[in-house]
Amino acid sequence: MEKSIENIWKEGFLKSDALVAPKINDLYNQKSKHVIDKFKRAFNINLIAIVVFAFVMLAVTTFNGLPIIGISWFLVLIGLVVVNKKLTSGLEKIDYNKNSYEYLMSFNKWLQEQLSINRKMARLYYPFLFLSIVVGFWFVDAEGIPLGERLVGEVLYGFPDIYLVNGIPLIGIASVLIIAAVLALVGGRIYNMDVKIIYGRMFKKIEELIGDLEELRG
Amino acid sequence: MSTDFYKTSILPFSGIIIKLCRAYTNTQEDFEDYYQEVCLQIWRSKENFREQSEWSTWVYRISLNVCLTLLKKKKNNSQHFASDSLPIEETEDNDAFSDEALNQLYDAIRKLSEIDRAIIMLYLEEKSYQEIAHIIGTNPNNIGVRVKRIKIRLKKILDGEIN
Repeated sequence: MEKSIENIWKEGFLKSDALVAPKINDLYNQKSKHVIDKFKRAFNINLIAIVVFAFVMLAVTTFNGLPIIGISWFLVLIGLVVVNKKLTSGLEKIDYNKNSYEYLMSFNKWLQEQLSINRKMARLYYPFLFLSIVVGFWFVDAEGIPLGERLVGEVLYGFPDIYLVNGIPLIGIASVLIIAAVLALVGGRIYNMDVKIIYGRMFKKIEELIGDLEELRG
Repeated sequence: MSTDFYKTSILPFSGIIIKLCRAYTNTQEDFEDYYQEVCLQIWRSKENFREQSEWSTWVYRISLNVCLTLLKKKKNNSQHFASDSLPIEETEDNDAFSDEALNQLYDAIRKLSEIDRAIIMLYLEEKSYQEIAHIIGTNPNNIGVRVKRIKIRLKKILDGEIN
């Protein structure tokens, strides 16, 4: 007679070798491979790298007469670190003790919130960083006068009838603003692409699991 | 941290963890990684254990939550994700147990979606529909229907009617 799955299960585990635990070495000092712990580690490494880069950038740009760029980048990067440090504290609140649905939902909620905040920030800091580069180079000393003014002088020499706004060629202002606007538009997408490359599989998996559980809850 | 916790609080319940980790992995290497990760998270979360439920139920819940949110190594299943089917010939863990029927049942269980795997594992461990719903956070009324569907699907897979 054909066995039911219940009988296969019961009888299969009656044998002594069926449930031999694998050998575990130094369990309490193992590095966790779990996605939440991976996030924490990746976040912390990123944040340390950003802080180091912010200080290096500040020193290098100031030393090279571009303090506006250095200070702007420093403020943006440190701001990013502070916000993301705060976001990682939310990971501590995710409790394995919840049922699977609540556990996945709280993890997903944290993920979405983290992504949304960083996406919004990316839309702001990409154009801001670009503008800081433009302004920084504008005011850099070029033989006694700011580089920007010197360039405008040279442009006017070649195109004397160019339209100026407050002494700056309109075409230059428009170009800078268009690039800043494009960066504001694509900033969020660049961030999404970055994250998708690293965590795309995980996002897909969480979505599928939650979808399946919601169907069962309905 | 002494090794006592593992010996006294995890090892006696290792059967639950082994059964569950086997259902979510295809290779011995993945299985050992999952088993270790579950043990690590049980140890880390032990302070959160409230004696409202049995320790074994709690171990089951943690094991399940860890298994659901771990990613297998890419080399094994970059194309087999979540509810994707996994052909038997690509399962490297066919002989994890000496009982051939049990190995075949495991291979069939691995072809189910991840949530269906959780449900059938809990069912086979003789948890009531109420308990299953409580552990995975769903409506108990739908569990019975889903269990029936899963059993039919498993039967078809075992009979070779579907892959």
